[in-house]
Amino acid sequence: MIKAIPKPMEEIIDNVKDFNKLLIAGCDGCVTVCEAGGLKEAKVLASALRLYFTQGGRQAQVDETSLTRQCEKEYLAQLSDRIDQYDAVVSLACGCGIQYLAEMYDKKIVFPGVDTCFLGVNEERGLYSERCQACGRCILAETGGICPIARCSKRMLNGPCGGSEGGKCEVSKETPCGWELIYERLKTLGQLHRFETPTVPKDWTTSRDGGPRKIVREDLRI
Amino acid sequence: MQLQEKLTAREFVILAEMEPPKGTDTVAMIANAWAVKGKVDAYVIPEMSNAVMKMSSLGGALLLQSRGLETVLQVCCRDRNRLAIQGDLLAAQALGVPNVMAVAGEEITHGDHHKARPVNDLELLELLGAIQTLQGGRDMAGVDLQGAPSFFVGSTLKVTPRGELWDQELAAMDEKIAGGASFFVTQPIFDPGALAKLQESLNERQAAVIPTVLLLKSVGMAKYINRFMEMKIPEDYVNRIQKAPDRVRECVQIAGELVSALKAQGCPGVNISTIGWEDKLPAILAAAGV
Repeated sequence: MIKAIPKPMEEIIDNVKDFNKLLIAGCDGCVTVCEAGGLKEAKVLASALRLYFTQGGRQAQVDETSLTRQCEKEYLAQLSDRIDQYDAVVSLACGCGIQYLAEMYDKKIVFPGVDTCFLGVNEERGLYSERCQACGRCILAETGGICPIARCSKRMLNGPCGGSEGGKCEVSKETPCGWELIYERLKTLGQLHRFETPTVPKDWTTSRDGGPRKIVREDLRI
Repeated sequence: MQLQEKLTAREFVILAEMEPPKGTDTVAMIANAWAVKGKVDAYVIPEMSNAVMKMSSLGGALLLQSRGLETVLQVCCRDRNRLAIQGDLLAAQALGVPNVMAVAGEEITHGDHHKARPVNDLELLELLGAIQTLQGGRDMAGVDLQGAPSFFVGSTLKVTPRGELWDQELAAMDEKIAGGASFFVTQPIFDPGALAKLQESLNERQAAVIPTVLLLKSVGMAKYINRFMEMKIPEDYVNRIQKAPDRVRECVQIAGELVSALKAQGCPGVNISTIGWEDKLPAILAAAGV
């Protein structure tokens, strides 16, 4: 899932301080799971902003809501009958949701309330880590189900760089060496021959390097 | 240093683009450059133009600079991060390159290595800023340098086919001037008259705008440019090439005429781009009468 963290309060206040009617729009999708931008976080942020305005002697209206998913028009449409009453919206969705909301209501000022970080997993509550960089051409079949693009600090594709120590990455001792993980897993699976097959330089056009991407699934389109 | 001195003294300058080879054989490049020695003020060494892999501009520049031929090193944002760019700039200056030209670089998808990953760690204005930072004696991390470079710095300017400047481009030009750019090279210009209007407004700015004269190679090339690129080649030129008994000679003649016309109307200089036909430079200069 997409992982995000709440933006610092000061940054949000700096963006919205000159507005009088604000809507805080959470999203029930990924950002709810990582507790950065769901209804609960929308309520907390709205309360904090109300407090800020009250302490500053300002009469500002700050309401909160949450949509099922801000990355879908059908759910964004639920705001259509009320969004006009607000000067600006703070969206707590991921970068996709924030942009889609702004795209749908193109006359409305929309601010981000979270920093979108990566595609990752929930290791524990409050501990999320990256697993995928959405490069567009999955190589997990060759690497024992562990992605060197996401898990190796140098995105190496042909084995470790030689800088790891005790199974930890030289970039950060908190980070396991992605290639050690791959090697150990392939060994466990009896698939070490995969490790011995060199890869050719990767085609990055399917990644973000080929420009903004789009999927067209003719089999799904009506 | 000739380029800077002549531009400062408002003398007409001639730049010639000199593509490094796609390979290690540098004989033709050096011979072509040598053939116009004394007639060209500086050789612009493109940094893998059109994202086609070639010898680096740094290598190409050093080949000429070490033979006493003044070069303008193109530095582009596409292929290197800030460490590599700064390191190459230091190397270039230490080895005698006096001029640099900051360019964004064509998209990788336009070149011959489509699968590559572009870098673009710095964008154009940041690259100009990085050059200024180095010239101030520090690197981008704020660490003191052991000897600071001092370049004559240029960049690119996009002019419309009618010789106009978009507001955004003019604003970008001012930002580049503030960022240390002293000269600008435009994309190919085929209508010197149109550029004359622009020259007046540019004269207010403390920067020389040098139009590029592109050597057409065929009717097909001219038609392709008219159809797919933001340039306009007058029909007269296309007809002349089409009817000429020696089409290559006519192309050279047209390029020479453009150089001559741009000089006559007071442009600070020209940049002659022959993209692979650098051996035609002596004939172009002869046709131009310069």
